[in-house]
Amino acid sequence: MLTQAASGIDLFLPETYDIVWSLVILAILIFFFAKFFMPKMNKVLDERAQRIQGRMDQAEQVQKEAEELKSEYEQRLANAKSEASHIREDARAEASHIREDARSKADSAAKQITANAQKAVEAQKLQAMNALRDELGQMATELASKIVAQHLENDQAQSDMIDSLLDSMEKDQDSAQTSTNSTNNQ
Amino acid sequence: MVSFVGLTTASGLMHLASAKQPDYPTIEDFLPKPALFAGTPFAINRIILIRIILTVVILVVLGLTASHAKLIPSRWQSVVEYGLDFVRESIVYDVIGKERGKRYVSTITTIFFSIFIFNLGAVIPFANMAATATICAPLVFALWSVYNYWAAGIRAHGLGGFLREELFPAGIPWPIYILLAPINLIEITLIRPFSLTVRLFANMLSGHLLVGMCLAATQFFFIETNTKIFAPFGVLTLAGGMFMTCFEIFVAGLQAYIFSILTASYISMSLGEEEEEEDKKVSQAAQPAAQLAAVSA
Amino acid sequence: MGIATLAAVSGNVDILGYGLAALGPAIAMGLMTAKALESTARQPEVAGQLRTLMLLGIAFVEVLALLAFVLCFVK
Repeated sequence: MLTQAASGIDLFLPETYDIVWSLVILAILIFFFAKFFMPKMNKVLDERAQRIQGRMDQAEQVQKEAEELKSEYEQRLANAKSEASHIREDARAEASHIREDARSKADSAAKQITANAQKAVEAQKLQAMNALRDELGQMATELASKIVAQHLENDQAQSDMIDSLLDSMEKDQDSAQTSTNSTNNQ
Repeated sequence: MVSFVGLTTASGLMHLASAKQPDYPTIEDFLPKPALFAGTPFAINRIILIRIILTVVILVVLGLTASHAKLIPSRWQSVVEYGLDFVRESIVYDVIGKERGKRYVSTITTIFFSIFIFNLGAVIPFANMAATATICAPLVFALWSVYNYWAAGIRAHGLGGFLREELFPAGIPWPIYILLAPINLIEITLIRPFSLTVRLFANMLSGHLLVGMCLAATQFFFIETNTKIFAPFGVLTLAGGMFMTCFEIFVAGLQAYIFSILTASYISMSLGEEEEEEDKKVSQAAQPAAQLAAVSA
Repeated sequence: MGIATLAAVSGNVDILGYGLAALGPAIAMGLMTAKALESTARQPEVAGQLRTLMLLGIAFVEVLALLAFVLCFVK
């Protein structure tokens, strides 16, 4: 459809005004991109990158802190555990100590009580013996006086006879006493 | 593609059926007469007007986006940031390298965003013409690209060093230089800008012609013919027009991408490869080793 | 009618020439893309480099097609 035969090559021959306008527009575009658009966009992009980097650093730091805290807590926990076991050991030792103490105290007390009781028994036995002897003597005297009243008128003979009687009785008593003591001690 | 078959057969039939023709687009569309300030160096025609309007749109939209940019991006800001990220990561850093590429991010972003928006003019209703669809717009972008790779080479090696590196590449027997040096000189001064310019321009031209042809035929089949026999062909050409419109959007992005990645490659070639090479070797050596370790583990 | 038809045909000869001129670059681009894809499949870790190199090569080859495109408008 080339209506004018000569116009084909005109497509490739630049017109002056076309070149002028193209140059003006290109200059405007270059200036706009180089001085305004790219710096502004780059600023925003850099700022964003920086912000993201900052966030990541912050997150890393927080994590580090958390880890430190955790290890500290673990340390503390371990300390507390060992302390508790220490305390338990101590308590156990003390308890056994106390038990020993109590046992020895109880032992000594028991011994004391036994000794006291023995002493009291001894004393009572002695008292009872004395009392028995007195009574026995009186009864024997009375009995003997009744029996012997007719035979022994004078007091002298009477008391001599009683004394000798009592002596012989005492001897018997002593021998019996020693035999009972020996059996008791065993 | 079926629609083209339909289109051609239908045109054949139509030639037989009537003398009338669809109002096909012509290359006149790309040579509009100046409408304002005609005769001065500041004359404005239809395509220049589209270009100015799209420039204003870029300035306003991206300016507002940049001045309202927040740490937590809105949806639109995310889209823009995705585009920026794409240019930075997959074009500049991939091709030039991260350290050396930093100073060229702005340049490549300018080229990518501007060309993409200008190309999209081809599918915007009432504009229906890419702002890059005269030879001058791709030409000045290509010259900007040329300026950048020359500046990069001269900054890296000095003028003499840059020319020596480009014209007399190392490791080639000297007689070849007699052929190679002129070819390389033409390559870096003429062929690169020429191919950048014409590639973009030709894509926009053919895209507009294809879409226009499909829609003109649709109009003709549905409305201008007296008979309704050709209506099925009209449906086909309408579908073709829709497909071509989608294809135009794809081509708009693709051409912007190719223009940017070629500019980045030219800059990278001007800079030379020494430090870059080692980086890549290390990373390549590390990767299989890591894979091997993973497998053996 | 005969002359008119001939004139219509002669108007399209440029296009025909462009079609012929595009054949070679088309084949070359197909080969390049295929090889680049193969290499990418073999070594996915250098996909970025391969893509860039492929695009560079295609840019070289495409110049031929673009030249033809321009020449088809030159009268």
